[in-house]
Amino acid sequence: MTTVSGGGPGGATPLVRLRGLSKKFGDVAAVQPLDLDIFAGDFFALLGPSGCGKTTLLRMVGGFTPPSTGTVEIDGQDVTRLGPEQRPTNMVFQGYGLFPHMTVRQNIGYGLRIAKASDAEIAERVGAIMTLVRIGELAERRPDALSGGQAQRVALARALVMRPRVLLLDEPLAALDLKLRKQMQEELRRIHQSIGGTFVFVTHDQGEAMGLANRIAVMEAGACVQEGGPEEIYLRPKTRFVSSFIGEANMLAGERRGGTVTLRAGIAFTDAGPDGPVVLVVRPEAIRLDGGTAGLGTTGRLDDVVFLGPYVRYRVTLASGEEIAAHSADTGRRAGMAVGAAVQIGWEAADHRVVAGT
Amino acid sequence: MIGPSGAVFLLLFVAPFAFLFVVSFWRKKMFVLEPDFTLVNYSETLADYGWPLAFTLMIAFAIAVLTTVLAFLFAYAIRFHAGRYANALLFVTLITLFGGYLVKIYAWKTILGTEGILNSALLTLGIVDQPLTVFIYNPGAVVVTLTHFLLPLAVLPVFASLRGVREAGLEAARDLGAGATRVFRDIVVPQCLPGIMAAFTFSFLIAAGDYVTPRYVGGPYTSMIGDFIEGQFSLRFDWPAGAAMSFTILGAGLAIIALVRWALGALRPR
Ligand SMILES: Nc1ncnc2c1ncn2[C@@H]1O[C@H](COP(=O)(O)OP(=O)(O)O)[C@@H](O)[C@H]1O
Ligand SMILES: [Mg+2]
Repeated sequence: MTTVSGGGPGGATPLVRLRGLSKKFGDVAAVQPLDLDIFAGDFFALLGPSGCGKTTLLRMVGGFTPPSTGTVEIDGQDVTRLGPEQRPTNMVFQGYGLFPHMTVRQNIGYGLRIAKASDAEIAERVGAIMTLVRIGELAERRPDALSGGQAQRVALARALVMRPRVLLLDEPLAALDLKLRKQMQEELRRIHQSIGGTFVFVTHDQGEAMGLANRIAVMEAGACVQEGGPEEIYLRPKTRFVSSFIGEANMLAGERRGGTVTLRAGIAFTDAGPDGPVVLVVRPEAIRLDGGTAGLGTTGRLDDVVFLGPYVRYRVTLASGEEIAAHSADTGRRAGMAVGAAVQIGWEAADHRVVAGT
Repeated sequence: MIGPSGAVFLLLFVAPFAFLFVVSFWRKKMFVLEPDFTLVNYSETLADYGWPLAFTLMIAFAIAVLTTVLAFLFAYAIRFHAGRYANALLFVTLITLFGGYLVKIYAWKTILGTEGILNSALLTLGIVDQPLTVFIYNPGAVVVTLTHFLLPLAVLPVFASLRGVREAGLEAARDLGAGATRVFRDIVVPQCLPGIMAAFTFSFLIAAGDYVTPRYVGGPYTSMIGDFIEGQFSLRFDWPAGAAMSFTILGAGLAIIALVRWALGALRPR
């Protein structure tokens, strides 16, 4: 039985419900008042650049940081005032927080021992979870004899063995090298599917968020600026920040007057919305070169062509001085493209987003 | 192969120690030491000095426990509540806590004596109309004075081991369901057992061997073994007796330390 996607909005009541939750450290507003719903079965990502308040938000859910305002509800119960030891959550800490004086087996069994499980039950559950995260052979080691990847797995096992209603992970892959990171990412997905739990993780890596999560909340300077599925966030970013943070995006500056947007690059089209400066966001893979037909377009100078395996990347400079990146899977066509020559670029209106701002 | 430091160690510490140990089995005849192998010095120690021995072990134990607990509380507060000022605070406090041994004895005499600060305050406040004599010249005064003297020595090893205790581990324990007491017992203390044992061992051995403090603030009924040992060597020139008493208190002391270590071992994780 696997759970691939969570309930999502419109489903049943959320498992975790945050209302007006905020945190101030002195004058620093680490998290601005925000509402967030996380549903059972979700693999939820809190995504944002370093210092935007992700860890603080996660710690408020786990009970480590008392919020300045707002409430945390888990499973319909208000847990705002409860400490971590009283919440049905478990956390995988960024630095792992393993107990250095205990073996791997003792580390993993500690929570069950506190819960007064019988020795037989502890042995069985610890054994099972070590098999699940594939660390069976490390049982008698001490944390200082583990590699980063192994310590990560032990921390994961120690939290998972408690069967938390919500598993919280703070930058679970950040400390690992690239190869391990990819491997652990697969591993986390496999584990989430096999136990069907609810995972909430913090990351500053959009690729990681896209690769793991079924729902993503993008944070900027303590505020949640957009929340939704990976596709929605990628294809329909609500702000310039979101579009630049998630994947690669071309940004073209312009202005809207009376429902008509005029770009500095010399393109005009109708688009309803308030007057003022706007930015047009369009992904590199939506740009066609010498497409000719429908949609929007202009000409520019081809500056660079790079073959990247599955696709070719073109860099085009427009008359406005703005640069456009285009990705094309049609790798055979680049032979006919001369660097320095004029090219026609274009895209379908459905593929771009217009967001307010400069 | 032993380097120069090894030679110095042998010469300064091991040799006199070994010599005294041998002497403890000798006899003294008319102020002359006579090689022998007799246990009579030990049996006389137990027969004649049984009470001072037991009293010394008890008071040293009390002092060591008190000192270690205070040192722990102190180091814990600095480690977990002083934030980035921890090192500066530690330094300042240790500077003020360190100080001459005799200076501290006289300081406590000045505080606890019949004309001391404590009595003056009580008289001035009208709480008593006669100076109280219960503050000084009793075992309590020895405990207070020696604890004050030993505190900085005990804080250092405890703080050193507490420094290695990471906050993330404490939070992880709470996350797994441990309340404050369990976190303390299962995570904090086991990780600084070496520091705690070092503090306890230092305090216990120094307190058990001290003979100056009881003489100045202990009064007539605080008979600590160090006082008698010193007498054997300096007044009676009975080295075999003094040596036997020294090794008896040392042996008993080490046994108690071993017992404490074993008891604390119960805190090791399962
Ligand atoms: N304990 C704290 N005391 C004071 N300021 C803090 C504390 N924790 C975090 N902050 C501040 O709050 C902001 C958000 O931090 P954090 O939640 O750790 O961000 P992120 O995890 O997204 O990198 C930062 O400006 C940080 O300096
Ligand atoms: Mg963080």
